[in-house]
Formats: sequence, structure tokens, C-alpha cells
Amino acid sequence: MGKASFVVRRTLQLVVTLWAVGTVLFGLFRLMPGDPTSYVVSSQMTQEARRQIIESYGLNEPLYVQYIKFLQNLVVLDFGQSFHSNQPVTQVIATYLPNTLVLMLTAFIAAYTIGITLGVLSGWYRGSRFERSTVITALTARSVPTFYVGLIVLWIFGAELGVIPMSGMTSLGTQNAGFWEMVFSVDFLQHLLAPALVLGFYFMGYPLLIMRSSMLEVLSEDFIDVCRAKGLKERTIMFKHAARNAMLPVVTAAAIALGYAVGGSVLIETVFAWPGIGREMVRAVLRRDFPVAQGTFIVLAATIIILNFVADLAYGYLDPRVTYD
Amino acid sequence: MSLLEVEDLEVYYETEDGPAQAVDGVSFELEEGENLGIVGESGCGKTTLAKSIIGILPDAGYVNGGEIRFKGDDLTDMTGAQRRRLKWEEISMVAQSAMNSLDPVYTIREQIVEAIETHRPGTGRTESTEIVTEMFELVGLDPDRADDYPHQFSGGMRQRAMIAMALALEPSLILADEPTTALDVIMQDQILKRMGKIQDEVNSSMLVITHDVSVVAETCDRVLVMYAGKVAEEGPVEEIFGQPYHPYTIGLKRAFPNIRKPTQDLLSIAGYPPELVDPPTGCRFAERCPMATDRCREEEPEAHQMNGLRSYCHYAEDIDTELRPYADNPETWSQTAAARKAETGNVGGD
Amino acid sequence: MAQEEQSGRSIFTDLDDGSTNEQVDKWQRTARLWKETLIEQWKMLTDELSVKLSLFVVAAFVLIAIFAPLIAPYPPLQRQYQGDAGILIEKWADPSLLGADNGYLLGTTAEGFDIFSQLVYGTRAALMVGLIAAVFTAGIGTLVGLVAGYYGGKVDDALMRVVDFLYGMPLLPTVIVLVAVLGPNLWNIILALIILQWRSTARVIRSQALSLRERPFVKAAEVAGASDWHIISRHLAPNVLPMTFLYGSFGIAWAILAEAGVSFIGLGDPNTVSWGTMLQASRAYSALQFGAWWWFVPPGICIGLLVISGFLIGRGYEEITNPKLQ
Repeated sequence: MGKASFVVRRTLQLVVTLWAVGTVLFGLFRLMPGDPTSYVVSSQMTQEARRQIIESYGLNEPLYVQYIKFLQNLVVLDFGQSFHSNQPVTQVIATYLPNTLVLMLTAFIAAYTIGITLGVLSGWYRGSRFERSTVITALTARSVPTFYVGLIVLWIFGAELGVIPMSGMTSLGTQNAGFWEMVFSVDFLQHLLAPALVLGFYFMGYPLLIMRSSMLEVLSEDFIDVCRAKGLKERTIMFKHAARNAMLPVVTAAAIALGYAVGGSVLIETVFAWPGIGREMVRAVLRRDFPVAQGTFIVLAATIIILNFVADLAYGYLDPRVTYD
Repeated sequence: MSLLEVEDLEVYYETEDGPAQAVDGVSFELEEGENLGIVGESGCGKTTLAKSIIGILPDAGYVNGGEIRFKGDDLTDMTGAQRRRLKWEEISMVAQSAMNSLDPVYTIREQIVEAIETHRPGTGRTESTEIVTEMFELVGLDPDRADDYPHQFSGGMRQRAMIAMALALEPSLILADEPTTALDVIMQDQILKRMGKIQDEVNSSMLVITHDVSVVAETCDRVLVMYAGKVAEEGPVEEIFGQPYHPYTIGLKRAFPNIRKPTQDLLSIAGYPPELVDPPTGCRFAERCPMATDRCREEEPEAHQMNGLRSYCHYAEDIDTELRPYADNPETWSQTAAARKAETGNVGGD
Repeated sequence: MAQEEQSGRSIFTDLDDGSTNEQVDKWQRTARLWKETLIEQWKMLTDELSVKLSLFVVAAFVLIAIFAPLIAPYPPLQRQYQGDAGILIEKWADPSLLGADNGYLLGTTAEGFDIFSQLVYGTRAALMVGLIAAVFTAGIGTLVGLVAGYYGGKVDDALMRVVDFLYGMPLLPTVIVLVAVLGPNLWNIILALIILQWRSTARVIRSQALSLRERPFVKAAEVAGASDWHIISRHLAPNVLPMTFLYGSFGIAWAILAEAGVSFIGLGDPNTVSWGTMLQASRAYSALQFGAWWWFVPPGICIGLLVISGFLIGRGYEEITNPKLQ
């Protein structure tokens, strides 16, 4: 099988998976106990007004009609309107998703740069005290829940020392002309620092451990001996040859992990009251705001699915040995 | 002055049980344009010897004593940077397994050019392309395929690519560690012939490390037989394989098919080489030697110059007169010394 | 390495020729062989110090969970009143550990619950979630993986598409939605975790089964006319056991982390005390701002200890099953 047909098949699989996620979500939210209309429809309303509102959301139609409409809308990325605020869900997503992405990407890029470097070094200097301490640090980082580390950081640096803000993304009353103006403001960066560090510390463990064991495998290969015999500098062998080969599993893992990072944004955003899409999803679920919960969930799931897809394709470019059978 | 002089070289490995004496007091010389074969069973220290010459011992390994003089300069005395300058430019290698000795994520050309640029910075693209083309033609590969990745090559092609890379800087010395083990017999033969031809052209010396006696017979002028970290015997190929003066060589010779005596049964020497962490006193081969005496187990043998070769056997001088008929008998090799001793008592020279 | 040897042959090969044996006898021998495999694995595992320590930590938590009523001075959800007047403790009691003279080792929560007692009972919730979820995820994953790998073809395709789909679901959000649908209690959290988490075990076991089914002893059993179920249970299952254990021990850790997360968000079981619900309560009452660290520091340490033990046991196990890592 050639590369083209691999891409086609993988794309089909992507679409099917997205459809399945959408369908399951549709079913789940309709199974949810509690009448969602009670949030929209006030009891003081007349029957007529109540009926009109229900109809306007299409909640009176048979389930299969609702389902077909749901799928049709999904294709054009229309997730309906919030029961709660009446805003279109796409607008809710557009408000919260960038916030999540800024936080996640900052933490992620820092974590993977540092994690991979430490992984390379700890694989290279195996058996050293440096290796032991990095491995223990990585394991600890992955064992203590992020939201707990977040709590402790907030307690020590926020409540006790007062050097970081306790919540949110910007200070109250701050006005920013636009998203990028906000991102590059000092105030925002102050808010970003703590959650990004906490997340970064957690993310770091994974690439570090994978990179280390991958390095150990690569370093036992004969071509490393040849590189040394060629008179290459240690650093050249370590990074250009050993790390480059050891990178392959990490790259796949990174793309997948980034997906899960965005999906797992729920907790850290809750702890730091970061107005991101994960926190918004939880709030929507808690107040039975189907359209928002559905829309945000699908965005989170789609991130994972698409990044898995990217990881599969990227592998083919990074490893010349890959064949598409 | 010889190209390479190794004198009393000791290379140890740190292990949990103490240092393993992988190479213990090895000496030999290699002249310019000469090919020396180093043979022995796996674990006899031949690969360690090669690695210490080229300077790629693993972290646990270290040179404990002795000298490796290359063109008169002691390699063990050099700084890392000095040593690096000699690598590939002067001493290159063809690694043990062709399959894994090339980096899978770079093309062959990239890997050859890397060697050129490391040692001759400022080499232009045209010049390095020329070198790659020339080397590919030399080893019988299509230069158009230089931009392939190693996995696109067959095993034999990969080995040729490896040889092309080893020759790229026209080094004075090439270490070939089991250059053909991974290949089938026909390919093996082709590669060996090709290597011989190339050698005549570039006039470099070669150190061929192998456990396969026939490879040595085909490519080398002289041969060094190693056993358990020590030299057993050394001399011209014809002498060593024609009329060896060390029981180990006699046994080793019988372990490989002989083209002149195809009907001869193949033998393996019973038993295993000794532990190198705390090696036995006396001759290291004594435990497996069918002719060993108490003297062998107590006293370390000295070099005996015999008929143009150098044998480290106490009884080298008696081999012709007393021991050869016994050693040529296949049954002699079928039992370990311990078993033999239990059965018939001490059989030996005196 | 004994491990490689074990995966190279079925430990039941000697069983198949003695088909004249009585059924009962056969089962006894099966049980004995399983026991021997388990003992062998256990011995290899306990060789390493970090694994020993981790097993000790887990054992200690198990004991605490079993004897929780004896260790905890109060029921976890019993309000503590001050003196005889029946007044609810105002704000919270300081821990006696820090010198307060009130008998509450770690003080009380703002709702008047004894923190130490909650911590002790929280062990039960954590272990229950961890163990039940791990047993089921590893079990289901192994079964699905074996079936997919053994049958291959359409069965494999169908099962793996389900796994792919599950891999597309973000863990925590999905558990949150499922718990919201099913109702917030501990069992539903466990159920939601099981529904999602068998995916990783299934994938790994499948690839093992794919290679195992090409081995001579499986081929031989097929030729001899053994039933599919017989081959899966007798020849494949024992050989993938190390992987199942590995994923099981990682599963404990992940399940405990996930439960803590879900509870922290506020979808925990209101009638059960877990370390996650403790953290959630401490946050709801702003213990952070008041610096009442004895409320929110201990549960996190417990989570961390138990989870890192799970990871270390898993890693130790991984090292004996994968010699390349050593």
C-alpha cells in the first residue's frame, strides 16, 4: 500500500471516529437526568411561551430528527446556542479555546524542550547520579496530581507569600484591546506563570522517561560506535545521531500527549480559575447546558483525534524506514 | 618504524565482581600495507583490542597499561581532541554488523560527507560528491544510490557502503571487525575479493578481526591468535595454519572446514574459555588443552620463536617431535582436560 | 532470562497429552501451574528495593483501609461539637499535632469533620477505586486483546475500531460527562473509568497475541484440534500475564488519580469521603486563603504516595519483562 492510500484510509478513520464521538455524546446528553429546559424555561411562563422556546431549540421533535439535525450541524460546525446565555456555542468556543491553547502550548513547549533534553542527557550519562535524580523527579512529577501541585503552589506563593495572583487570567478590571495584546501584557504573563509551571512540571516527566529509555536502546546500536570511530564530537553524536534516532517514539508520544493535555485541561483550569475550554465544559455539564457541553467536548475530543492522526503521518516523515502496509 | 606497534597492552572492564582482564599483555606490530588477522573465539578480547586501538572503548572499559603506538605516537597518551583528529582520517573501521552500523535516519551520502567534513572542514560540495562517487565505484556500488537510506540497501550493499565510508578519507589503517559475518557465503567471498583489490589500490594496512579462520586465510599476511585476552600464537598465515606451534591454534584450525581436506571432520574444542575477572594462573588455555601438564597450570608461558612464528606454549619446541601426531588425532579434542585427567591421568610432554 | 523462556513456550504444554486424566485432576494441575507462574513473577519483582518499598506502602494503605474503623477516632462524616453545649465548632479546630488541646490529630474541617478520620476512611475509597478499576480494565483489556489478536480479520478490525474510538475520548471530560449522566457516586466513577481505560491494555495485549499465535506451540495445538477457547485460555493467556500485571498496576495509579480529579471538580460521591472530595471541600471553604494546610496537604501526599508506589511497581515489573531497559 502506498503513502497516498494510507493517508486516505487514515482520513476516513478520522471521520468515522469523529462521527462516533458525536453520536455517543448526543446519546449521553439526552440520557442525562434533569430537564434541561428548566434552565431555559422559567416556571412563570405561559404554556405557549414555554412551548415556543422548546420548539426553537428543536427539543420537541422526535429523537431521530434531532439526531439528524445534530449531525448536519456538526458538519458545518454549528453546535447550537447555549441554554444558559443564548450565545452561539461556536462563539463560546472561540472565547475559551484560545485561552486553553495559550496555557497548554506554553507549558507543553517548555516541558518537551526541557524533558527531551534531560531525557537525552540521562540516557547518555546512564548510571550516574544525574540520571537517578532526573528519573525520580520525573516519576514524582507524574504521580502527584497536577491540581494538587496547583493548590500547593497557590497556597505557598499566592496565599502565604502573595507573589502570584490567586485566580484568573487577568486582573479584575483590566481592559485589553484584543487577544494578542492581552497575551503580551505583563499582567497576563503574571497570571500565566504559575499554572504553566505546574503543568509544565507534570508534562515534563513523560518525554523524559520515554526519551531516556529510547536513548538507552539507540546507544547500544552499532552505528553509535561507528560515529565515535568517525571522530565526531560527543555532542554531535549525542544530539545529531543518538537523540535524532531516539526522538521517533517521543514525537508520536508528544502529538498524542498534547491532545490529552488539551483534553485534561479541566483540572488545572479549575484550580487556577483559568477561563479555558475545559473549565467551561465542566460548568456547562454541571448546569445542564447541553449545547455548550457538547460543543466544548467535541472540540476537546477532536483535538485528540486530529493530533493522533498528525502523529501517525509525522512518523512517516521522520522515520525513512516506515512503510505503509 | 612500524605503522602500528602494540606493546604489553592491558584493557580492563569494570564489572561488579572486579576488573575483567579482557586484553592482558598483548604485543604485536603491523607494517605499512600489511594485513594482520586477529582470530579467536568470541570473548577472547579481539573486539576489545580493536576498540582500544580506534579509541571507542565503552564507558566501563579502560586501558590499564601498555602502549599503542601509531606512526610512533602513543595513542594512550593523547588527549581526546588529538585522538579525534586521527580517527577515520588515519584509522577507520568496518563495524561488526553491517546491518546496524549505519545510522538509519541519514542517507549514505550524508554519513560519508559527515566524515569528510568533520576532518576536512571547508571541503566543497563538488569535492565531497566526487569522493562519494569514487568510493561507491571502488566498492562496486551504483553512485546514483548514494542518496538512499541504509534500509533501502541489502545486507551486502550495506556492507559495501560501510567499506566505502571507511575508505573515504584514505586512512593508513582500517580495522575490520567481523567484516563478513552477517553475510551469506557468496556475498562474503565477493566482499573479501573486493577488499583485497581495493587494498592494493589505496595501500592501507588492515587489521581483520574475526572468529572465522577462512576469512583470515583469504585476506591476511600474518595472523595473531588470541585466547582469553592473551596472545597464543602469532606469525605468517601459511605458517600458522600450515604448521602451528600452539595447541589452541591446532584445535581452532580443526574447527573450520579446510578447503584442501574437505573430508576432514569438524571439531570443536570442548569446554569454555576461563573467566576474565579472576583468570587462572599459568597458561590460560591449560584447562581445555589436551596436552596440559602441571607446569602449564602454574607457570605462565613465554614466547618461543619457532620457524618464523611466535608461540606462547611451554612445549612449543616439543610440538613437532612429540605432540603433533597426538594433537592431529580428532579424539584428542573431544573431551575436556578435566575429564581426560580423571580418565587416563596426566598426558603430556614430559 | 526466565521471562523469555516462559514466553517461548506455553506453560501448559504438558497438560495436553494427558487428556485421559479426569477433569478434576486437570483443573487441579491448571491451578498449580498458575500458582507457580505467579510465585515466579512475584520473586523476580521483589528483587528491587524501590519495588519492595512500594509494596510496603501499598500494604500499609491496605491495612489502614481494612482497619479504618479501628484507626479513625470518629466516623468520617460525623460532625464534631464543641464541649457539651452542642455548638458546632466555629470555623475549624486546629490540629492537636500542632499543639491544640482538642484531640483532633489533624484538626477538623470547616464542616466540623475530623480530618484524620476522613484521611483514614479516604484510603478505602482510593483503594476500592484503584483495585476494582484496575482489575476490570486489565481483565477486559486482556480478554479483548486476546480475542482480537487470536481471531484477527474482521473481529480484530471491529474491536480495534472500538479501541480507536475510545482513544479519541478525553479521559477526564468523558468521565465527568458519564458521571453526570449516571449520577455522582463512587461506583459510577469506577464504571466510567473501566469503560474508558481498558483501551490501552487491549492494544498492547493484542499485539502480543498477534505474535504469540504464530508460535509453534499454538500452531501445534490448532493442528491437534484444540478449541479456540482452549488455546486462548491455556496457551495465550498465561503468556501475556506479565503485560496484564504491568497494565494492572499502572491502572491502579491512573484510576486513583482520575477519581481524585473527578471528585475535586465536584462530581464526587457526596456520601463517601475520598481524598479527592476532601481536597474539593477544602477548596470550597477557602482553606487555602486561610492557610489551613493541615486540611489539604495530607490527602495530596496520600494520593502521591499510593500513585508513585503503583508506578514504581509497574516500572519494576516492566524492567523484568523488558530486558532492554535494564
